[in-house]
Formats: sequence, C-alpha cells, structure tokens
Amino acid sequence: MTELPWLYAGIAAYALAAVAALAGVMRLGAVVANAGVTCVSESQRNNERLVLSLMTASVILLVITLTDRWLRIGHGPFVNLFELLISQLFSLGLVYTIAYWRIPVLRTTSVVVLPLMGVLAVWVLALEPSDSVFPPTYHNPWLWAHVGFGKFFLAFCLIGTGLAGVILLRSYAFFQQLFRHLPDNVILDKLAWRFMLLALVFDSLMLTAGGVWAQDAWGRYWAWDALETSSFLNWLLLGASIHARTTYNVPIRLGAVLIISVFVFAFVTYFGTPFYSEAAHKGVI
Amino acid sequence: MRITAIRGVLRRLASTKLTLLWMLLLAVGAALSYDNPVETSIWVLIVPMLLLAVNLIAAIISNPRINRRGGLLVFHLGLLSIVVLAAIGRLTHMEGRVEIISGAEFSSELVTDVNSGPLHTGALDEVKFVQGPFTVDYRPRMMRGLTHSQVALPDNEGGWREAVVGDDRPLLLEGYRFYTTFNKGFAPILSWTSNDGRVAETGAVHMPSYPLFDFKQSNSWTPQGGEEIKFWLQLETGLNAEEAWVLDGRRATATLVVNESDKRTELLPGQSVKMAGGTLRYEQLTTWMGYKLSYDPTLHWMFIAAFITISGLGAHFWRKLAAEPLGLDDALRHEKKPAKGSMPASRSVA
Repeated sequence: MTELPWLYAGIAAYALAAVAALAGVMRLGAVVANAGVTCVSESQRNNERLVLSLMTASVILLVITLTDRWLRIGHGPFVNLFELLISQLFSLGLVYTIAYWRIPVLRTTSVVVLPLMGVLAVWVLALEPSDSVFPPTYHNPWLWAHVGFGKFFLAFCLIGTGLAGVILLRSYAFFQQLFRHLPDNVILDKLAWRFMLLALVFDSLMLTAGGVWAQDAWGRYWAWDALETSSFLNWLLLGASIHARTTYNVPIRLGAVLIISVFVFAFVTYFGTPFYSEAAHKGVI
Repeated sequence: MRITAIRGVLRRLASTKLTLLWMLLLAVGAALSYDNPVETSIWVLIVPMLLLAVNLIAAIISNPRINRRGGLLVFHLGLLSIVVLAAIGRLTHMEGRVEIISGAEFSSELVTDVNSGPLHTGALDEVKFVQGPFTVDYRPRMMRGLTHSQVALPDNEGGWREAVVGDDRPLLLEGYRFYTTFNKGFAPILSWTSNDGRVAETGAVHMPSYPLFDFKQSNSWTPQGGEEIKFWLQLETGLNAEEAWVLDGRRATATLVVNESDKRTELLPGQSVKMAGGTLRYEQLTTWMGYKLSYDPTLHWMFIAAFITISGLGAHFWRKLAAEPLGLDDALRHEKKPAKGSMPASRSVA
C-alpha cells in the first residue's frame, strides 16, 4: 500500500486548510465587528493564500495517491468504497479549490465545505485500504463519462451547500456576526441556486451516460437497482426544488434547506448505497 | 367562448402545483419500483408519468414562460419525448436468453425466458450467426476478467466473416443485441444407436455453468426410445484458483463417466459403451456460451432525445444566467482591485 502515506499527507493538508479557513473567518468576523467593512487587509489576503495553498497541496497529494494506487493495482478508482472516497475527495477538492480561487465570495463557505469534506476524510481513514478487482464490464469509455459528470454534479451541490450552510448559520447571532462581511442572503441564495442549476445539468448528463454504459455492459439502460433508484429520486428532488424555486417565492432559508437536502440525498446515494446493496450496480459482478 | 374554456382547462392541467404533486407521485412510484419487486405493478410508474406528460403538454401549449423560451421549450419537449420513447420501448422490447454450442448456428427456437412487449415485431428469425470458440480470462481467486467470444457472421457475398464479442461489446444483428454472460460451460456431444439400428441420434448435452459449478458437472440424457443415461464430466481445464487462468474449451479435455446401475464406465472422445437398449458413443467435447438478448428499437432515439433535452436545459440556463447579473460586483464594491496575477480579492476589512 505505497499510496497510503500520500493519502495521509493529502488529508492532513485538508485538515490544516479547514483550521486555517476557520481561524481566518473568525479573525475576520472579529475585526468586522470592531472596525466595520472597508477594504482587504494583507493578513486576510495571506490567510486566504494559505488556505488556497493547502487545498492545492491536498489535491496534488491526492492525485499522487490515486496515480500510485492505479499503477499498483492496474485500474482506476471505480470499484470499492475506499478508492471511491479518495477519488471524491480529489474531485470535490479540485472543483472547490478552483471555485475558491476564482469566486472570492465563496471563500467564507470553506468553513462549511471543508468540514463536510472532513467527514469523507475521516470515513476513508476508517476503511480497510483493500485492493479491488476491475469487473469486465467496466472497460467502457462511458463509465468515465458517467463518473466524471457525477463528480461535477456532486461538486456543484457541495458549493451550493456551502452557501446554503452560510445562509442558515446566519440565523444565529454568533454566525451573523462572523459572516457580516459577506453579501446579503439574497445574493448568496441566487449564487447557490446557480450552482444547483449547474448540478442539474451534470446530474442529467450523469444519468444519460450511465444509461449508455449500462446498456452496453448489462443489456439494459435502466433496471431500478439501488443506485439507479436513488439517483433518479435525487434527480427528481433537485428538479422539483429548482422548479419550486423558479415558480414560487420560496423563502431563502427554505431554499437553503432544499439545497442541503439535495446534497444529503446525493451523499447517501453515492456513499450510502454499499450499506443497503451488495453491489452498487447489480450487473457489476 | 369555447377557446376561453379550453384555455382555462389547459391552465388548470398545466398547474405548477400539479407538476410538483405528480413529481412526488413519481418519486413514490420509483421508490416502490426499487429492485423490481414482483408485487409492485408497473402502473405505479405509468400513472404519474402519464399525469406528468399531460401536465407537460398543457404547460408547453399554455405557458408562455415555457413556449416563448427556446431552451426551456426544447427541454420540456425533450422530457416529453423521453417519456413517449420509454413507453414505445416497453411496448416493443424483447428480452431473452440463449445458450449456443460452439459450431452451432443460432436459431430463434433456442431462445428461452422470453419477455417481450405486446407490440414486439422484431425479426429474430432472420438473425444468423454461428457460435465459435470463446475464452474467458480469470485472475487469481477466480475473479472473472474479459470474455472473447468468436462468432461467424454472414457477409454479403455468401460467405462468413469472423467477429469477436464479449462483455460490453454486444453482437448487434437485426436490432437484437446479444451479450455474453457469466453463464457458459462444456457440452459433450453424444450419439446413441439402438440395438436394432432403427434409432440413431446425436445430441449435445449442456453441462452446468463452468467454473461456477466445477464440482457439479453432472447431467443426464434420454435418447429416443432409450432410458435415461446419467453421467458426469471429469474435466481437465488447467484451472488453478490461486493463479491467473484462461478458460479455453479448445485446450480442455474431459472424460465422460457414465453410470448405469452399479456399473461405472469412463469414456474418452471417440469411445463408446454398450448399454441396455443401445450403444452410447462420446463423440467429442465442445463448449456452450450463454447470451442475454435484448431488443429495443428506441435506444438510439432515446440517447438523441436525452442529449437534446440536456442541451435545451443548458442553453436555457446559459441565457438566463447571462441575462441576470448576480450583483456580486456591487456586493464586493468595497474591495481593492487585485494586482495583476494575484488572487482575486475577497471582501474584507482593513
């Protein structure tokens, strides 16, 4: 298991990024409370650079982890929960790091997003790092498309959840003070739903690519197995939430709850399925 | 007056509250359909889909927020076409299983476990191919790898051409898709000649799936006018569970062990044994491959419909997002402009 030291280093970098992000936001909140909003301080800029550097380092370390494992066992991280979680830590980290870098208003969401990724990190550490066997039906380019689209779907849900988490946390006086430097909830809500719109597009792409793969692999594009049923329910929930948001005047906090519900459902779909189904997709074996 | 009434009905049918209600109903139907339980009727899916389709059609006709926005219109029409195609697919589909021995030609009569829609009108009788030998790669601990199944297909010049299928590369003929499965094994070819010479029969007996039932390679055969003959195969395939291995019927040998009352006879290919009523001859050993068959004429259309639907959704979002600035610039108006090449600034304090 030569990849394990790289994995531990990658997770440690995430943990440090989370601590630095939290410390930065706490300090910022305290300063805002005392001095009011004016302009960017150098220390705040340095803190954000530190968080970004740590997240980038973590993503690079996870790339090394995945590459090392790939070379050792001969196939990509597509089969058991251990490698799926590492792969998700990498892809969620990559997308969030880019978003963190390019969209400044998202940086405060790191206090919500990084602890969520911490759940994945702790989980992966608790798993047996066993090798997996690549099923014959996985030699298919549509598998890559299916998994790739799924990763973007989950990453956009995660960013939306980060914003929704900030909106909900603002209900409490402590966090209201902490997040005072952020734009109004109306703007955060709009931004969060934009990420959920992107998530819907990628969720739809994931289901379509998965259908093509399933047809080639098992002779059916849909069979209501555990993962298919759960993914379809997730798509419906996301579609219905967007439909409700665009049609009715959904209160911002209720909207935030809907976003978090979609993410939780997606989380259970991706990572909970092994608990109630022997194989993610029945045709795997 | 009538037009007004129709518009009123359409508006009610297109209600967005109904959309949410039917989506909820569809979610319940989907949850009930998990793992295709036999006690769950297909109607738990059909009813909400029909209701959603009606809601969708009414909305497309009556709701200007949909029919005046190109992307959204394409998305909704696409969803509708997916529902219609899924329905056509279920009405015209066909599924089944078939086992074919190496060297034999496919015949629709061999297909078992047939499940087809009421409007299925495929041309299974016109499907023509000859099964050839196959190999299956196994990794240590009997982990199945890739299957390579050779088939001969008629070319357009009266001859045959070779093709290899397996796993996610199905054999496509006349709209039917033949998928190799884990179900495959050996088949001894046996001949029976009655004592009076009036009955001469040859048949291939499919032994249980191999290597899944390596320990249980027994079967029986009852020739015309004869009694049931019980036998088992003593196979030599090179199987070693701890090492990588290739299942290849051409490299395998087998002794046919025939049990008649208390008498046990071991036969090699070409050998025969005299039994009550006739002579059994073990001609040769061959293999059989189990295929899963599926037929759905809507597959390609379904893919195109899904692609167009998602494109419509993407185009709509793109236009919508471009037309409605978020206001982040205003929200972040207190920021300093970052130096070239540095991180974009966040809103912060001095």
